[in-house]
Amino acid sequence: MNDDLHRYLDGDLRSDGLPRSERGEAEAWERLLDAYRAASHGSEAPQAPPWLEDRVMAGIEALPEPRLWSRVLVWLLTPRPMSVSPVVLGAAVAVFAAVVVLPWRGVEPVPPMGGGAPPVRAAAVGDVPVVYVQFRLHAPGARSVAVVGDFTDWSVEEELSDPDGDGVWSGRVPVRPGVHAYMFVVDGSEWVTDPDAERFRDDGFGSRNAVLAVPPPQT
Amino acid sequence: MAREAERTDAQVVRDVLAGDRDAFRLLVRRYGDVMFEHAMRMVGEHDIATDLVQDAMVTGYQKLRTCRDRDRIGAWLFRILANRCRDHLRAARRRPMVSLDRASDIPSGGVPDEDVARKETARQLRDALDRITPEQREAFVLKHVEGRSYEEMAAVMDTSVASLKMRVHRARESLQPLLAEFR
Repeated sequence: MNDDLHRYLDGDLRSDGLPRSERGEAEAWERLLDAYRAASHGSEAPQAPPWLEDRVMAGIEALPEPRLWSRVLVWLLTPRPMSVSPVVLGAAVAVFAAVVVLPWRGVEPVPPMGGGAPPVRAAAVGDVPVVYVQFRLHAPGARSVAVVGDFTDWSVEEELSDPDGDGVWSGRVPVRPGVHAYMFVVDGSEWVTDPDAERFRDDGFGSRNAVLAVPPPQT
Repeated sequence: MAREAERTDAQVVRDVLAGDRDAFRLLVRRYGDVMFEHAMRMVGEHDIATDLVQDAMVTGYQKLRTCRDRDRIGAWLFRILANRCRDHLRAARRRPMVSLDRASDIPSGGVPDEDVARKETARQLRDALDRITPEQREAFVLKHVEGRSYEEMAAVMDTSVASLKMRVHRARESLQPLLAEFR
């Protein structure tokens, strides 16, 4: 296929902008795509079955009920509007500085975790510094393992590999400095908490995320 | 409480996170159809598409707190579903099977010739789509079957227009041999 035809099918070129020799080809593509759309599901878009909503909600109802302390944590972490007078706010800041911030100056960054491995390399993606973290999961028999977390927007983007087939899946993933929650996704659907993590955080929805603390890259 | 149509996605997410689990129904109503359509276009089987949408929705509920842009929760849920569909296609390649939905495409007696030819074409195109990568198939379906612009696709899939164009172009190259009978 030549570039003009791709541009036409992409919507970047009108049909009268195509060379005459390509117009027949373009029409053939339109006929093929129309035939596929019509034959696969008719002219109407497929509609979700009416019971889908109830089935999703039943799946949600079947999730384990979060524990009391977890619900309290969720309540505490949920943003809500407050009214504070400037005097009270100033006093609170002063107390916080005196009691919490000043005595802790110079504290060392939290050591990194994540499959028990330290960050291996600092780099930058665009202008954002990142640290490459080695993730590792023992999952014999798995067909695929990925690490997902707030640093991947909880999308399966970073797949681990097991080149020697020993069941230990690993991979280096760029992560920005900070504290992150993550999990492993085995075979595309099974969410697994990292058993080697040193810290965990209940997500308030019946499961537990591993927590990874990544210090800023050293320059 | 505001009427359903007046509640923004961000408000619904906030209500769910505040403990109103039933508010999640509203998100299922808003995005169930578009997610189901995508799942059907990707996997072609009603029951599997339904399972994938349900799984994506429940996972979205479990991970709701991690959704950064709550006004774009629809795109976030769609990305979870798209991941599920790609994973399903990868797994399905390892265990080939005949599906009932596809078996129904096999011509039988008494069916008009035109329908038979049309279904045969659809079958050939689906077979060709089965041979390309899940990422290329996804891009092709979004562009040519769901009729989205590259900009819409990029926003939903959180990737670049250039990358999506490359996937669609490769998919078309793979389908080129089918074109002969439409000339």
